[in-house]
Amino acid sequence: MTSTDPTLLPAAFADLAPLAARWARPTENERNAVRHAATAGEFAAFHDALLPRLDALLTYLRDCPPRPEDPAQRNALMLACAYAEAAPHHELYGGSSEVPFSFDARRFVADHGDEAL
Amino acid sequence: MQETIATLDHIRRSVPQIREELGVDPIPVGAIRDPAIYELEKERIFRKVWLKVATAWELPDPGDYKVKELPVADTSILIVRAKDGRIRAYHNVCTHRGNKVVPSKGFESFGRARANVVTCRFHGWVFGTDGALKSVPMEDAFGHLDKACLGLREIACDEWEGFVFVNFDPEPAQSLRDYLGDFATLFGGYPYRESTTAFRYSTVLKCNWKVALYAFSEGYHVPTIHAGSLPGFRGIEHSDFKLIGPHASSTIYGAGMDTAPSTGIFAGVLHGSDSHAPRPDLLPADINPKRRGDFQFELPNIFPNLLIHLASGCGYPGLSYFTHQFWPLDHGTTLWEGINYFRPAANAAEYAAQVHVNALHRNAWLEDTATMEDTFTGIMSGAIDDMQLMDQEFLIRHAALTLNSYLAGDKQ
Repeated sequence: MTSTDPTLLPAAFADLAPLAARWARPTENERNAVRHAATAGEFAAFHDALLPRLDALLTYLRDCPPRPEDPAQRNALMLACAYAEAAPHHELYGGSSEVPFSFDARRFVADHGDEAL
Repeated sequence: MQETIATLDHIRRSVPQIREELGVDPIPVGAIRDPAIYELEKERIFRKVWLKVATAWELPDPGDYKVKELPVADTSILIVRAKDGRIRAYHNVCTHRGNKVVPSKGFESFGRARANVVTCRFHGWVFGTDGALKSVPMEDAFGHLDKACLGLREIACDEWEGFVFVNFDPEPAQSLRDYLGDFATLFGGYPYRESTTAFRYSTVLKCNWKVALYAFSEGYHVPTIHAGSLPGFRGIEHSDFKLIGPHASSTIYGAGMDTAPSTGIFAGVLHGSDSHAPRPDLLPADINPKRRGDFQFELPNIFPNLLIHLASGCGYPGLSYFTHQFWPLDHGTTLWEGINYFRPAANAAEYAAQVHVNALHRNAWLEDTATMEDTFTGIMSGAIDDMQLMDQEFLIRHAALTLNSYLAGDKQ
């Protein structure tokens, strides 16, 4: 399993594989690129599917190290991080891929932006 | 609720005292607009006062170094933990013919000096992490070379609470501790070095550095510019004003806001952890001395270009503290650096929750930075000659007055 194949998830979350394929990426910069290209409908669908499972997903991740080596654990973390960053776009920004009335996010440089989970 | 014993009452100011001491008149924007002022700032401020350039935990082991480009001092500096464990700073300039000893990418980069030496890539001059010139290829061919006098040019460097400062004055007028003064007491004692998980962002802004500094130096803007990020925001109290020589500080208390469903769940992970839960008890005694439950963070301005917002997990969930720094690149260009610091996550759930909190805060910074280039354009247009400042903007008024006194030569 590599960072480009994020669909293998723990059994309890196997049904989320299509969302993992769409959203889960190992680096913040890659997740940003996915988010910048997303539509309001996609943010809503991601939110509607993930929020009811978030408690369970985080309970599972509580037993995983911060940087899991196990591919399924790592993919579960990538999915949680993708949702962690995508949720405000649905909950706060009206489905916009940009933060409303903001500076161009592409001009922000994250030191850790290319560090893989 | 038990009140802690305050020891810094002499720095506290009421609003009437602030108005009395700093005045209420508009503040001229000439210091922002005039390129000649920037040249004076370089000479009389940035080459004279202590500037934070690193943290000790960025350089944990002997040989670890950081290269930082500082156009405001017309130099590149090498900050290195030497063999004896002390952090030292040097001009990153080879004493042979002036080449950069350690090449760098971007405005800052990190590396490790193997065997505690760095080697200039131009001709192979070798310097120890103690600055000494160790060896010179074909040394005999120089005829005479006084290696003892050709070490790296050292810059005054000292630490406070793990924050590494330099001073470009060959003979600084004050020690770092004296320069920080009561600020060091006000903010001292918090375990900053435990919060080693850092999310650092930077961007180059087309504005004078003070426009960016001032934008982050007040709470007045929060209900408007952050309306998108703060749903159901019920207001803030910006109070507990303090004047500390060239520095100043204040406290942001929050009346609360609606928590988005996902944030509630992520926050629950952090609030349920001993490491990340709100820890008002860790705050220094003179910050939020009444230990109010609505404390968000302490907002100081450490002259000239550093903000350390101390939250201890009380504001954004799990966020220990965050810093802003504003480095002039030229009169109209600024490198802004914002860093969120958390304690290390013990498991993947805590890490994902930190990523959520970091994203919320990064997005608020995107809202903040949206104003800065427009503000500078407006000031440069000549349409206004003054800033109108209200009580919650006293950090700006104080910084502007402090700047004027340094430019006039009243300080240092």
